[in-house]
Amino acid sequence: MIEFESLTYSYRSGEHRALDHISLSIHQGDWVSIIGHNGSGKSTLVKILMGILEDYEGVIRVEGTVLDDENRAELRKRFAIVFQNPDNQFVGATVEDDVAFGLENNGVPREEMVRRTEAALQAVNMLSYRDHEPSRLSGGQKQRVAIASALAMAPDVLILDEATSMIDPEGRREVLDILQKIHHEGRTTLIFITHDLTEIEQSDHAVIMREGRIISEGTVEEIYQDTDALIASRLVLPFHIKLSKRLLDGAYMSYDELVRRL
Amino acid sequence: MLSKMLLGRYIPGSSIIHRLDPRAKIIAVVLFMVIVFFANHWTGYGLLILFILTLTKMADLSPRFLFNGLKLILILLLFTFFMHLFLTKGGTVLIDGGFFTIESEGVITGIYITIRLAMLVLITTIMTLTTSPLQLTDAIERICRPLKAIRVPVHEIALMMSISLRFIPTLMDETEKIIKAQSARGSTFMAGSLTSRLQALTPIFIPLFISSFKRAEELAIAMEVRGYQGEEGRTHYRVLNWEFKDTMVLILMIIFGIILWVIRQ
Repeated sequence: MIEFESLTYSYRSGEHRALDHISLSIHQGDWVSIIGHNGSGKSTLVKILMGILEDYEGVIRVEGTVLDDENRAELRKRFAIVFQNPDNQFVGATVEDDVAFGLENNGVPREEMVRRTEAALQAVNMLSYRDHEPSRLSGGQKQRVAIASALAMAPDVLILDEATSMIDPEGRREVLDILQKIHHEGRTTLIFITHDLTEIEQSDHAVIMREGRIISEGTVEEIYQDTDALIASRLVLPFHIKLSKRLLDGAYMSYDELVRRL
Repeated sequence: MLSKMLLGRYIPGSSIIHRLDPRAKIIAVVLFMVIVFFANHWTGYGLLILFILTLTKMADLSPRFLFNGLKLILILLLFTFFMHLFLTKGGTVLIDGGFFTIESEGVITGIYITIRLAMLVLITTIMTLTTSPLQLTDAIERICRPLKAIRVPVHEIALMMSISLRFIPTLMDETEKIIKAQSARGSTFMAGSLTSRLQALTPIFIPLFISSFKRAEELAIAMEVRGYQGEEGRTHYRVLNWEFKDTMVLILMIIFGIILWVIRQ
């Protein structure tokens, strides 16, 4: 369980707050989506959690332990993150080298490293590409390798910071399928950051952020019904939501349900 | 022309030379660089040429392919040859052209030096053709490890090399994109005088530099969150396996050197 309590952060002191008293709890094993337009503070939140940004106000608790300078490096090992740009997080010269990079850094013995690398690549269906160079992979494949690199570290929490925004629709679907598989295994908490409302359907809990504040929070159904908040956050409504709102008086229904009704 | 260039290229294969430990290859090449200078008459140079031809055969490369790929180097070799032809004096005068003379010593030294240079270029080319850049980086890191005692950051240099190699194709793609984008905005790169062509490169390089810095920063963050803290406490995924055949290569190389030394005149 991760708890944020009244988290506030400004990039330059005195300027407007990128995060403004954020309080949020994330339960172990949940798939939590954080949705927001550019500049809503959603990436700032995970950067603080990962310890990339410091000097924040407020409290972060991981499993009840307050995050501070001393335990940050240790607690960070429980988190793994996949960033937006598939190229700029690929460190290794080949797929397997990249997955092994994090394990090498943590001093994992070689036999275990080989085993975990294989298992992680298997989980994202990239094992047959193990000796490929990144230049020969598509954007979606590179992001899958990035997920494998994260999974190899056996994290409690996997964070995806707009990991699908730079890849084609096909790659996006592959990534979402893999996330669903990970979610079903139930061990890993997923924090999924996006500005695309169509990508949150499978999550347990969704949070809408705008200008550093949480303006709405709840299950996906609740979020989809709160169309005013979505529109106020300048988010694009998924097509089936727009359609059901216009045709069927705004009652929320899933895509399949809508198709059946029509 | 450029596509045929072989300098620094790697051609995947499974020959015995491909499968040698990259460390053995590097050490053997360094030994060869010394051995080349042992030869000082026809038998010695004949043996060197024979040695390189055998190596080419063992690496599954065709001599014609090697020759075509090294045509640019040929200009350099010819230049060396002619320098010696005209400038080295001694022996009998073969041609007396008035303001210049060609003497027999000049011809012989010219040929010797040219063979020497050609052999050095060939053996290094055979090495890079049969060893992936990644393996070479690994091998250099292992070989240079003792230098850490005098505070040479061997691991960091090797990591920098491997990241640079990894980003070459990425930056090539990016350059191509920028060229297209600038062309679409009316830039021309292929017309005008040399100075105007060089100036036309500015709108390519500036965006390229900016994006490289952004990439570097993101990469640094990605490495940090994956726990990179320098070499301490790090394990290695890639291992180099030194086998019996690698030791044999070095022994054969030394024997070859001894033979050349013995037949010296």
